[in-house]
Amino acid sequence: MMDWPAAQRTGAAATSAPAEPGIGRGRIEPVPALLPMRVAIIGAGRGGMALLDVLHQIRTIKIVGIADRDPSAPGLTRAHELNVPVYDRVADLINHQGLNLVMDVTGDPTMESVLRKEVPAGTDVVNGQTSRLLWLLVQHESILQTELLHAEKLAGIGSFAAGIAHDMNNPLQLILGLAENLADETDLDAVHTQARDIIEAVKRTTAICRDLTSYSRRASLQQDCLIGVNGKLDEALKIARYAVALQDIEIRKRYQPDVAVKGNPDELLHVFVNLITNAVQAMEHEGALTLETAVVAGTTQIRVSDTGCGIPPELLDRIFEPFFTTKPPGKGTGLGLYNIKSVIHHMNGTIEVESQVGRGSTFTLTFPHDSSVGERSVQP
Amino acid sequence: MSEFKSGFFVGGESCNGRVLVVDDEPDIRKVVRMTLQKAGYDVLEAENGAKAIETINSGENRLLLDVMICDIRMPKVNGIEAITYFRENYPRVPLIVLTGFPDTDMATSLLRQGVVDYLVKPVEGEKLKASVARAMEQRELAHL
Repeated sequence: MMDWPAAQRTGAAATSAPAEPGIGRGRIEPVPALLPMRVAIIGAGRGGMALLDVLHQIRTIKIVGIADRDPSAPGLTRAHELNVPVYDRVADLINHQGLNLVMDVTGDPTMESVLRKEVPAGTDVVNGQTSRLLWLLVQHESILQTELLHAEKLAGIGSFAAGIAHDMNNPLQLILGLAENLADETDLDAVHTQARDIIEAVKRTTAICRDLTSYSRRASLQQDCLIGVNGKLDEALKIARYAVALQDIEIRKRYQPDVAVKGNPDELLHVFVNLITNAVQAMEHEGALTLETAVVAGTTQIRVSDTGCGIPPELLDRIFEPFFTTKPPGKGTGLGLYNIKSVIHHMNGTIEVESQVGRGSTFTLTFPHDSSVGERSVQP
Repeated sequence: MSEFKSGFFVGGESCNGRVLVVDDEPDIRKVVRMTLQKAGYDVLEAENGAKAIETINSGENRLLLDVMICDIRMPKVNGIEAITYFRENYPRVPLIVLTGFPDTDMATSLLRQGVVDYLVKPVEGEKLKASVARAMEQRELAHL
């Protein structure tokens, strides 16, 4: 287990520190080689918000701002979360220096003439049917991403078979054995005790079904909400134990109380299950799994560490690529970390990995700290 | 007893044999014990492979153990490791696997290693007793 780096305690970017010999560090955002394209979005309805969500993930694009006359437009709220400047007057936004592109997703035909007059020379404008096509493509991409996440989750559930069978068949064996015994039991006290044992065993079995059906459902489309991270990590541990044997793993929890992040609870649970499963698989069923949460220098950090085989430095930059896997054929889809990256990006967070071959790996998730935690209701 | 039988005397009562049940779930050990005790067996318990090895190597168990019933998915020394150990060190003690997970490849491999039976939970009492009785026969044949 590696210590929480001093760089992170002080809020400095971990990637800016020189790597120690033999320790690999990976970060999913490549440093852009070119100047970013500067984009302004006009219209903060559903289209504007969808565009914002996609574009802010692309490091070669800089969103200089988003404008809408309606202060309650959903895209404006999202823009605040992503630290994108918000304007109520279009003219104020499009007069930005060095603007490369204006994307008009208002659907308002009068906006075209306004933009024609106001947009400086050298700045391109996307509007009308082109803008509509772009929105459709963004929606399509978003649906594909959701489907991919769900497909990968279902593929992973295949590996739960052994764990589910173990956890279902053990209480069933107890129920069967006790029921057989009750058929000729004459001691009334024993009958009562065994009947109670049967009821408890049935409850355990139904709890397994409840956990799994809840996990396997499609991620809800509900609006992002505040999620209690510590509870979600505990829930993920419960699910992960179906996929991997945790009996010989020492589990260390270092939770700061009341740590919360904003996002989709189903998707965050999937992220945690994936990270924990990977960590345990890396240890070949022996070692220590550490789960840490903390609010550090204005950010919320979550770390999942293992004492497993580690990741060779030459593979660190590839582990977030789609379809990249080091697992044997049929054991991994290669989409787990790719999907994790997508979910975390959507939550305006980052993921970094630090690994040392033969010593273990640490995945650090960093999110902007929501100062309203504690004031609003937090989903456990 | 005029002829050899692996049964022995426990507390003055005749016993059909001594069975070691290895399972990390106390509930499973409890019902297996319940079923086999009714059928006249003396039952020892161990919560994992390491405890099973410790149990079999202590006192007179080495000589008096007739059958072992072993789970697969257990902490510390798991079932596969324990079975390998017992096949190497106690080849005459018949082994029955009682597992929650039906795995054809594993069953084939274990039966090839000489495991008497591969039972998948939940298993009925009659089937369990029949399997133990078959293992007892093997045990007795091994002594002839």
